[in-house]
Amino acid sequence: MAGRQIFNPEGFKNVKEDGKITGFSFQFKLQYYRGITLSIIRDIPIWIDGESIAREDIRFTVADEQFTLEEMRTVISPDYRWEFGEWATVSVLREGGLSAGEHHIKAIQVVAPSYMPRILENVCECNFVIE
Amino acid sequence: MDYDIKRSVSLYSYQDEYYNGQLDLEGCLRETAKTGATGVELLTEQMIRRFPIVTEAFKEQWFQWLKKYGLEATCYDAFLENHIYDNRTLTLKEQVDMMCRDINLASELGFKTLRTLVSTPMNVIEGSLDDAAKKNVKLGIEVHSPFSLNSGWADGYMEMILRTGTKHFGFIPDFGIFCKRIPDVLTAKARRQGASSECIKIVDHAFEERVHKGFVKIKYDTDLGKANREYMEANGLPKLVEAIEKANGNQADMAYAMSSFAYTWCDPQDIIDNISYIYHTHAKCYNTDENYVETSVAINEVVEAYKKAGYHGYLSTEYEGGEALRDTMEVDSIEQVRRHQEALKRAIEEQEA
Repeated sequence: MAGRQIFNPEGFKNVKEDGKITGFSFQFKLQYYRGITLSIIRDIPIWIDGESIAREDIRFTVADEQFTLEEMRTVISPDYRWEFGEWATVSVLREGGLSAGEHHIKAIQVVAPSYMPRILENVCECNFVIE
Repeated sequence: MDYDIKRSVSLYSYQDEYYNGQLDLEGCLRETAKTGATGVELLTEQMIRRFPIVTEAFKEQWFQWLKKYGLEATCYDAFLENHIYDNRTLTLKEQVDMMCRDINLASELGFKTLRTLVSTPMNVIEGSLDDAAKKNVKLGIEVHSPFSLNSGWADGYMEMILRTGTKHFGFIPDFGIFCKRIPDVLTAKARRQGASSECIKIVDHAFEERVHKGFVKIKYDTDLGKANREYMEANGLPKLVEAIEKANGNQADMAYAMSSFAYTWCDPQDIIDNISYIYHTHAKCYNTDENYVETSVAINEVVEAYKKAGYHGYLSTEYEGGEALRDTMEVDSIEQVRRHQEALKRAIEEQEA
């Protein structure tokens, strides 16, 4: 039997802007049990096929609003919570995006609920295909 | 002694079905009612979108649902996000304001009690007591393993209760403090992750010994990490680590050994001793089998203590076993909650004279 679905299997795609591929994106759900303000997300390090992505190339989107990880440090609006059970879209700026075919992603949701003595590091990993 | 023990379900229990979209908030209430429970406990930040905004339309819908499913709002689970920014802790006033915001929301949604976490600073609780009294919401600090009643930790709060004379602050015991065994689902997960039978035996045996000899209780310390480390040491962690090392234990073995300290066995007499200050209860459960036996928590013994104490209040199912399952299978919280409610019902009813 399969475990819980963390990534949206339909969410992996290259991002096109003005006819040019400027990066790629994926969707996943928060591995915690309640919704949170974006401000308590300390980091989302990402590796694609073992290669690490620069923090400043990562964008995070909820409720149609996009933030850098740095900007998220001050986002406490109820409009931009990462709600429990909802997909967030993460995009990575990368000219040309990802090549067609199979890839592997590892992303860590680094989240700091105030009451926990330790910061949560939820490791999310899967294989995916870019069409 | 006269008692009135009612059953509630914390919607925390249905988190896996909520996560995958199988149940929405109304669906959770419907399932709660189906178990025969008459109370519902809510984590607003889990199931109300755009928290802390709670609209009039939502409130109206909420009370309609409660009526439709024959449920009473029991406990509001609050999270004091006092590190909402990464560069500072909120000021005392900001924290009290946050607590009072939650007290107000609890009251507006019909909740009689509010669960606050063990990390809540004492002065934040004290600063919120007037609002709690005004709104008639009883605040309860969760007595979550490894914390316990009749301990140095609890004395810290008892001192405040007696000093202020408040009738709006007390304890919410969590049944994780009444574990006679490590939850079997946790053991199975450790095995999947590569723990050896030999090391599992060592850890289980050490836990049995702690249950038999009695746990050394945790102290009051504003540094919770320090309190926990000292607690683990006092309860035989160094000896256990040594035994695992001697058996050439791997990382999974060690992780299992460490996680065993998350469960505690306390004498149910602790409930009787503190009953005047217990306003609500988290009936934590991990795995209830098809014969309605919780494989870790000694339900009957504990419920017996609640009866003896003359408890008037709710036992609220808080299913947490999904944590140990969801890496490998779909979690059936609905069935686990149903079984646990039946187990509670039997414990409450069957032994009546």
